[in-house]
Amino acid sequence: MSLAKVFSVSTRARASGASGLLFRHAQYSTSNQEGKVEKVYPPNVPGYKYVNAEDPDMSFKEMSNRAAQTIFWTELARGFAVTLAHIFKEPATINYPFEKGPLSPRFRGEHALRRYPSGEERCIACKLCEAICPAQAITIEAEERKDGSRRTTRYDIDMTKCIYCGFCQEACPVDAIVEGPNFEFSTETHEELLYNKEKLLLNGDKWESEIATNIRADHLYR
Amino acid sequence: MLRQPLTRALALSSPARAAPLAVRRYAEIAPQPDKVEVFIDDKPVYVPPGTTVLQAAAQVGVEIPRFCYHERLAVAGNCRMCLVEVEKSPKPVAACAMPVMKGMRVKTNSDLTRKAREGVMEFLLVNHPLDCPICDQGGECDLQDQSMAFGSDKSRFTDIHFSGKRAVEDKDVGPLIKTIMTRCIHCTRCIRFASEVAGVDDLGTTGRGTDMQVGTYVEKMFLSELSGNIIDLCPVGALTSKPYSFAARPWETRRIDSVDVLDPLGSNIVVSTRTNEVLRILPRTNEEINEEWLSDKSRFACDGLKRQRLVTPLMADSRGNLTPVDWEDAVVAAARALRDCPPDKLLAVAGDMADAESLVALKDLLNRLGSENACTEQYFPLEGAGIDLRSTYLLNTGIANVEDADFVLLIGTNVRFEAPLLNTRIRKAFIHKDTDVALIGPKVDLTYDYVHVGESASIVKDLASGTSAHEVLRKLEQAKRPVVILGADQLKTQEGAALLAYTQELALRLQDKLEDKNWKVLNVLQRTASQVAALDIGYKPGVGALLSAGPQVVYLLGADSGVVTRESLPKDAVVIYQGHHGDAGAAIADVVLPGAAYTEKRATYVNAEGRAQQTLPAVTPPGQAREDWKIIRAISEVVGVRLPYDNLDEVRDRLSQISPALVTYGDVQNNNYFAQARALAQSLQKPVSGNLDVKLKTLEDYFMTDAISRASPTMAKCVQAVLKQKQSTY
Amino acid sequence: MSLGKYLALDKLSNFFNIIKQNGGIRASLYKMYRQDELKDGVLVGEDKFGNKYYENPRYFYGSNRWVEYSDKYNMDYDGSQVPAEWFGWLHYKTDLPPHMDPSRPKYKWMIEFTENMSGTTGQYTPYSTTRPKVEPWIPKRKSNA
Repeated sequence: MSLAKVFSVSTRARASGASGLLFRHAQYSTSNQEGKVEKVYPPNVPGYKYVNAEDPDMSFKEMSNRAAQTIFWTELARGFAVTLAHIFKEPATINYPFEKGPLSPRFRGEHALRRYPSGEERCIACKLCEAICPAQAITIEAEERKDGSRRTTRYDIDMTKCIYCGFCQEACPVDAIVEGPNFEFSTETHEELLYNKEKLLLNGDKWESEIATNIRADHLYR
Repeated sequence: MLRQPLTRALALSSPARAAPLAVRRYAEIAPQPDKVEVFIDDKPVYVPPGTTVLQAAAQVGVEIPRFCYHERLAVAGNCRMCLVEVEKSPKPVAACAMPVMKGMRVKTNSDLTRKAREGVMEFLLVNHPLDCPICDQGGECDLQDQSMAFGSDKSRFTDIHFSGKRAVEDKDVGPLIKTIMTRCIHCTRCIRFASEVAGVDDLGTTGRGTDMQVGTYVEKMFLSELSGNIIDLCPVGALTSKPYSFAARPWETRRIDSVDVLDPLGSNIVVSTRTNEVLRILPRTNEEINEEWLSDKSRFACDGLKRQRLVTPLMADSRGNLTPVDWEDAVVAAARALRDCPPDKLLAVAGDMADAESLVALKDLLNRLGSENACTEQYFPLEGAGIDLRSTYLLNTGIANVEDADFVLLIGTNVRFEAPLLNTRIRKAFIHKDTDVALIGPKVDLTYDYVHVGESASIVKDLASGTSAHEVLRKLEQAKRPVVILGADQLKTQEGAALLAYTQELALRLQDKLEDKNWKVLNVLQRTASQVAALDIGYKPGVGALLSAGPQVVYLLGADSGVVTRESLPKDAVVIYQGHHGDAGAAIADVVLPGAAYTEKRATYVNAEGRAQQTLPAVTPPGQAREDWKIIRAISEVVGVRLPYDNLDEVRDRLSQISPALVTYGDVQNNNYFAQARALAQSLQKPVSGNLDVKLKTLEDYFMTDAISRASPTMAKCVQAVLKQKQSTY
Repeated sequence: MSLGKYLALDKLSNFFNIIKQNGGIRASLYKMYRQDELKDGVLVGEDKFGNKYYENPRYFYGSNRWVEYSDKYNMDYDGSQVPAEWFGWLHYKTDLPPHMDPSRPKYKWMIEFTENMSGTTGQYTPYSTTRPKVEPWIPKRKSNA
């Protein structure tokens, strides 16, 4: 009752255009044909659901029902029944490492450096990934290779700094650095996560089948 | 013949160009013509007639995009990027080449201007490859920046499968410059630099339209002591640095302002470093010294800083082999040798690149041990005024003022290789001001025409006494602002003192007659970066007499020029070498103390004109190497004669006690006492008869002159390239 | 609803099916011990390491594809033993098992898959791939040495 009063005040306020702050209360009001605004609480506007605790019904019948349930432990019995039923249900958890959860082709896991089909490494040492890396996890040094092409001599990723944002693969103009699908690369020591160029290229050689498939799966959206 | 077309080409821009550049104390004060009023984007600005629209716009802070225009080069007007709309003009005009007219209204941001720029940009990009990811200019590329700012956001280029993009064969222009000529946008800055500033007419264009190519006409390398500057000038990635190729991106390098020490001019440089490694050296604009150029040795010898380094103290073991030891052992050994040596048998020799701080520390240490035998490798006559008057061993005219000279007499110096950037000043004067140059000494290529007076030192005597019949004497006497430059290398001979005396006599006789009383005529061009500071501090120039006295302990402070050899020393002499490179000095040493190179310490250097400047540490010294003055300070502690300074500021206080000029960074003190020096030198005017000779005659001599450049593979390649070029038929 | 289903007899038949498919009671007990779970399904394929891949859409999405690691691993099975080719299928990225997918690249530079070697002698240890930055001077040995 008191809330209804508040609402009626607020609608008046809105009608007079004095305050926009109370605008949101309008959703609780329904207008009838005469243009008169009638207040209902909880509101029965479709699409809205009242989620707060409602006052218990204090009729005698309801009160005795509640008392009977308390006395006869019916809630306890129902609880056991639910537990028992779940023993026979299929579990919602998955049995890793035998079953594995669904992954997107865009999943950003362990990094890898890719090669061209000819076996030539893709990376051209443009250093855009190094520049964009928000965690500054990438270190690149480059020099001219014997044949005059631009190649890295050092391509280190500190996987413990990396935040797996995927900016490096976004920045790469030649699809050389990618975040592959693998996430099962946890190590026992910190230093094993300081990847160098060799390790990243090996990752690429190891995972190429899956990386290439993922890129193809996603090519329409790139 | 060379001068004529260039003067015409430059006439357009030169009067206005002169104004914002350098402090020109001696500039001719021509009657100023009335200024004209022009409007740049409706902002009124008054500029002298003859100013270009682009310069007028710069005065009100409106920057007009450009590729081909460069303020230190002639106007070419061929990139068309600077097109702007001028009211009442039917077409957009090229701002860099258009002189202002009264009441001109320029719109630098109108629709027409923007459309013109976009069009030019599109045409440039049609024939420019999209290889930014592998281009070394990426990140500092004018084309990248300007296409972001002024270019279109979409491409209409669809021809890739039909006739494709223009592709041009790369040229081999030597070991310093990498060419990717497909990227060239034909701004011709490199061509203009080569012919105007470097004085090497090797570059040019061939073909027209799509077939236009920049290159050397024949298969030839572009070899000059200033060739590296065209890398900076190139607005795109067509000319990039070969030693620096693919090494780093501009955004990942730290840039530290510093000073070059490989020639006596002390050019201002920026040291680009990353991960504690010097990657490249770029010039830093200083109108008083190097403008915005840098000589190749200063620019490219930096890879010598990573080779042949002393990274740990070394000591000779029982067999005489140098073996790595701890600092403690080395310092104790050095200190023991110094302490046990009788003071008169102690000798300290300072080398090419010793900084003022370590020089003063070493001299103080020696003095505390009771010795006065601190000397430099380079000789300078001590007779007469000797080194007591600063004006006798400095480049008194000043580097920047040389371009205002109207007659330059070079005595026994090949300025081109001893101080390349001083030579560009002389060349600038030669081209723009019709300055005449005369040379006494061996005939060398100075990149401009000069009168070769002869090789004999007696010519100087004749000129000084006014008895010469040569036309040069008449020209010298008529000159309003003559400059006489004497190469310091000539002074180490027997006749050096007399030659210096005659040069002083000649210069001061000319100076006395000048109307401009502030103009200084006498110049001595030192050969090394450390010499002036060493002489200021009171080092004795030259080791001659001290060395023949048979010293027992020799302390070499970076002395690598081979003046001190094992043969010249007594058999049991102990040699302590402190320096940064394993070169001539370290090879004869018993104790080697690794010091820091000029990119690794904060140190004071005084250039040939007496300007104190400081280097800043760009990287840390490699391995266990330490700053030089600290090493000497540590030794003094162990010897038991503690030097009274604990930090750099205190060392500099000590420097300023010796001479305040050593710590007034960036300034040149006005040198005087010329008359006194002349009077003291009168008695030395003995007859001279020898011939003058210079060490650096041709380009291959230039590249490897000191410990750093001798360790540099790039410099070695340069020498090879020059020798190879000599074999070539072109 | 049939009577059998009403009395959960289908569950019973499933149970016997599973036991049968897993090779009898002993084998089923071992599998229970090794995998904590007994399932029946269609064998989709087997990779070159001997890992077997099964599918049964009767199970809920997320557990309807699974791998049974090769017996040679015994209890040392590990999630990273699934080779790259089968990774996508097992993670529901694709319904095509690798031997049915002709578009998967096979270049000669691609290398044998290895599991995560951390903690073994074959583990990766980082090293520098560049030359040292500064080359020290090596003094000449005197001839009398």
